[in-house]
Amino acid sequence: MKKHFLKTLLLTATLIFTSLGVSFAEPKKGGTLIAAVGNNPRHLNPAVQSGIVTGFPGAQLFATPIRYDNNWEPQPYLAESWDISDGGKTVKLNLVKDAVFHDGVPIKSSDVKFSLETIKKHHPFKTMFAPVVSVETPDEHTAVLKLSSPHPALMLAMSSQLMAIIPEHVYGDGQDPKTHPQNSENVVGSGPFKLVEFKSGEHIILERFDDFFIDGRPYLDKMVLKIIRDPATRTIGLENGEIDFYAFENVPTNINRLKKNANLNVTPDGYAAIGPIDWLAFNTKSGKTADVNVRRAIAYAIDRNFILKAIMLGVADEARTGIHPGSPYYEPDVEAYDIDIDKANKILDDAGYKKGSDGMRFGLNVDFGWPGLRPNAEYTKAALKKIGIDVTVRQSADFPTWAQTVSNHNFDLTWDTVFNWGDPVIGVHRTYQTSNIKKGVIWSNTQQYSNPKVDAIMEKAGVENDMDKRKALYSELQKMLANDLPVYWTNTLPYHTIYSNKVGNPPMGIWATSSPMDMTYIKD
Amino acid sequence: MLENEEIEEPTIKPVKEIFLTFFKSYSAVTGLIILIGIAVMGFIGPLFYPTDPFDMVWMPFSPPGTDGFLLGTDYLGRDILSQIINGARVSIAIGFSAALVSCFIGVGIGSFAGFYGGWVEETLMRLTEFFQVLPTLLFAMVIVALFGSSVLSITLAIGAVSWASVARITRSEFLRIKELDFVLASRASGSNNLALIFRVILPNAAAPIIVQSALLVGAAITFEAGLAFLGLSDPNVISWGQVIGSNRIYILDATYTVTIPGIAIFITVLAISLVGDGLNDALNPKLRSR
Repeated sequence: MKKHFLKTLLLTATLIFTSLGVSFAEPKKGGTLIAAVGNNPRHLNPAVQSGIVTGFPGAQLFATPIRYDNNWEPQPYLAESWDISDGGKTVKLNLVKDAVFHDGVPIKSSDVKFSLETIKKHHPFKTMFAPVVSVETPDEHTAVLKLSSPHPALMLAMSSQLMAIIPEHVYGDGQDPKTHPQNSENVVGSGPFKLVEFKSGEHIILERFDDFFIDGRPYLDKMVLKIIRDPATRTIGLENGEIDFYAFENVPTNINRLKKNANLNVTPDGYAAIGPIDWLAFNTKSGKTADVNVRRAIAYAIDRNFILKAIMLGVADEARTGIHPGSPYYEPDVEAYDIDIDKANKILDDAGYKKGSDGMRFGLNVDFGWPGLRPNAEYTKAALKKIGIDVTVRQSADFPTWAQTVSNHNFDLTWDTVFNWGDPVIGVHRTYQTSNIKKGVIWSNTQQYSNPKVDAIMEKAGVENDMDKRKALYSELQKMLANDLPVYWTNTLPYHTIYSNKVGNPPMGIWATSSPMDMTYIKD
Repeated sequence: MLENEEIEEPTIKPVKEIFLTFFKSYSAVTGLIILIGIAVMGFIGPLFYPTDPFDMVWMPFSPPGTDGFLLGTDYLGRDILSQIINGARVSIAIGFSAALVSCFIGVGIGSFAGFYGGWVEETLMRLTEFFQVLPTLLFAMVIVALFGSSVLSITLAIGAVSWASVARITRSEFLRIKELDFVLASRASGSNNLALIFRVILPNAAAPIIVQSALLVGAAITFEAGLAFLGLSDPNVISWGQVIGSNRIYILDATYTVTIPGIAIFITVLAISLVGDGLNDALNPKLRSR
């Protein structure tokens, strides 16, 4: 009965869709995808370079052991299967048998070992593979990772752009992998596309790799990634049909504008693992913000709702903690610091910060990490005036200047966008760990926040293999952080993917364009 | 005939005559009136229109005319009219002080080069040429990047990159005037070099320098807007350039947020050019007789 009902439903649905002229086209081989990239990648080797700009071409050029589906479930990729044993301390990867690099050399377990060791040594995300003690290679198609402790973040760290499998016979030639000439030209990759040309500042051209280890893929013949920095130029390009695809759009006016275009699809899906969060970070060691009362008063005075509605124009989501709302570990039930000017004033009064004759209590500087956050900084100035804090907006000359100022702890407040990178161990712990207070390193614990209890919880959560127990630990962590408030989290950065109607299967997983686009195709 | 003119010229014309010529010019007077109007708006306007340009007063992106906001609101819901009024003060101040800085450097270098000649001139003029061939915008960006985007550093940066024309004009005037009889007479009567430069020659070389400086004011205002457009502006001070720069990314959807300050700059710079032309006519007897 139930089966019959389903069949009827399916038939009706098919009839309706056919009559509406909607067709579920089968993925089709051939075609060129013209995409835009918002910045110039330093080079194309994600094994030694983090960031979404390298990630886009990087994930096409290099395969990883596993990939993720849209529901945070690991799927086979270069590893056709895996076994986790010894309480999570041994991870065995069984590699695809007939996989070859772009130069035709077979991909062996020794390449996996070499890649992991290179990443561990040179990639900025040190926590990713920190517990991996050694990689054993019992045969050509088996790699066994030995860990010092259970490491649940390992699965995500073996996906996306984070564990590019690079050829030992190319990058193992003794040159520094970070400046290896073949990071930018004659790239020998393991992924679905091979490099035709990388012209810095202009374009990256990729071509289908015919001997890719998944039969029949990729569908596209070619991908042209145009490097276009100016948001207005990209927007016009998408409107004109000169560009088919752009990921990581985050200018709210552009998103709303492009949504109105019937030829384009605009979606916020696909960024859950990237996990970008906008936040206001405090210097918790020096100056007025070392006092938690000041931090709380500031949080009460800044209206998250205003940021969501007025600055983000409704395209971003609320983020109450340092874990992205799209993550399974997100805990929304924390102190949210909803706007309350009276309370903020009272906190400051009680803490002994008296208003002067001009209505101001004291002054603070606010910095911002990149131009998109300038409205937030200007808003902070206007908002904190209401509680008697005289804010000076400091404009850094460029990103390195800002990074230097903040990483050397010469700031009071700074707006920033920080990524979760999938697992909290990779992208979240770094912001709050006492051991990660590293002068001169940006996106370390630049707040200089230190709470032994928080450190202990993170240490426990990092090695907890049981999902429910791990969730509980992270829930507690987020509540403690909201109480201490080293950072006031406001919203997700509204990353959107924009693609024209002729693009089928754009990357909608958890890693956006930092994942292989072997299933993307061009419709007729 | 030509010789006659050259001898007559150094005598300072009666101030009255200059004024008369200036005010006879319809366009110069129009420019002056506009300029005074803008200055009055900038300095007294806030008393009559007290909205703080940094306060968020209404819905963001309300177009001009919405709910009593004559020029609309920007991306944070700040009143653009108030930004234009308060920005006038800063834009004009930056324009005049930057022009003053270039004038100071330019006259200093140009007069010494012109007066002393020889290796002094060689050195100073090579320096001037060096500054002249530098891409000014890039050089100014470097200065602002090094010293931070404050009004002071922006003013100094604009001044530092635009003095070369003043220096060249000053030098050529000095070269001409220092050979004239009255200078020789002055020297004979015991004036030292500094007195000759600043008391005797400079007043007689003033006319073209004043005209050039007036034009520099307009150039400096547009220069500030250019820097702001590239994001190099002081976020704590409202200037027209800053309004343009911070609204730039919304140019496709809220065009008025960029065009309104643009029009303000256009009108001001136009007025300054008209005044500059008027001054040129009034101060330059050769043009006047034509």
